[in-house]
Amino acid sequence: MKEYSQDLSSLMDNELGDKEVINTILDDTVLQKQFSRYQLIGDVLRDESNGLDLRMDITDNVMAAIANEKQDDYVAPLAAAPEKSNVVPFMKRFGQYAIAASVAGVVVVSSLMVNQGSSTDPSVAPVLNTVPFGGAAAPVSLQATPLQSENEIKERNERVEALLKDHQLQLQTQP
Amino acid sequence: MNERELDLQLIQRIQNGEQQAFALLVRKYQTRVANILTRYVRSSGDIPDVSQEVFIKVYKSLPNFRGDSAFYTWLFRITVNTAKNYLTSQSRRPPASDIDAEEADSYDGSGALKDDANPEAILHSQEVKQVILKVIGDLPDELKSAITLRELEGMSYDEIAQIENCPIGTVRSRIFRAREAIDKQLKPLLEN
Repeated sequence: MKEYSQDLSSLMDNELGDKEVINTILDDTVLQKQFSRYQLIGDVLRDESNGLDLRMDITDNVMAAIANEKQDDYVAPLAAAPEKSNVVPFMKRFGQYAIAASVAGVVVVSSLMVNQGSSTDPSVAPVLNTVPFGGAAAPVSLQATPLQSENEIKERNERVEALLKDHQLQLQTQP
Repeated sequence: MNERELDLQLIQRIQNGEQQAFALLVRKYQTRVANILTRYVRSSGDIPDVSQEVFIKVYKSLPNFRGDSAFYTWLFRITVNTAKNYLTSQSRRPPASDIDAEEADSYDGSGALKDDANPEAILHSQEVKQVILKVIGDLPDELKSAITLRELEGMSYDEIAQIENCPIGTVRSRIFRAREAIDKQLKPLLEN
């Protein structure tokens, strides 16, 4: 111990640069406290401690505060992690696409079935009918009169309702 | 190795993750920081808290320290800025006369005003000072001379060796023995 105490004294006077000795001092709390007292001797002799409470040693508090702050730095990203849950799991996303595709399929098939009856020549019916839900596309005109029967309107309303329900279902399944 | 080089070595260690090296810097400079703060912080009870704030700021800013100036000059600036921020937070104005970094080393804060110096702390400090001076007074002349030339005159071991006409190793040993003798009396006083 005495050997290092002399090194400590030399280190304080900037007369020692041996890294191994510095390593030993940094690892030894007793030597560090001795360093504080040696420092205090010089401070008192130079009158640099006038009016100060000489029992004051803030080293432990400072080091504890620094350790706490470091810990907070590590905790912060962990706490923030749940915010990254915007990433939708693959199966969930896949399920949404499947629902959307089946709804689209139902709409297309039902449109085809509705329009099959009105087709004048079934042999030239298009594979994918793009006629709107209304059943027929009428030219835009202020004088146009509705060509739909009551049944057609009822069917259209039912399909719209079904679509709305599917849409609501999709909204519920989204994150 | 001079003080600046030693500080730089400790700072490099801190920057490489050796946190304990910062503890040594705190131990080395805490009294000087507190001494500067007495100029600004009138309530002596607040000095430990403000000192702590200073060192935490220093630690956080260390990655930006490039060593262009001496560590103590840099520490001094942070201390003064922290003290001024403290005064602002207390709705008080900084003192009319300021102190420069150049005079920081020789700054004597004993003239600073203190509102509520703790009588117990003052008594204790006086006791510590008396013990140190008494032990030094009782030391053999060669030890007394060595510690005085080092601590009061700031001489290097080489300079003291020339004055005392003895090898550097002897100077090293004399200064250590003087400190050891003082520490023997000082330690129980500080621990109690």
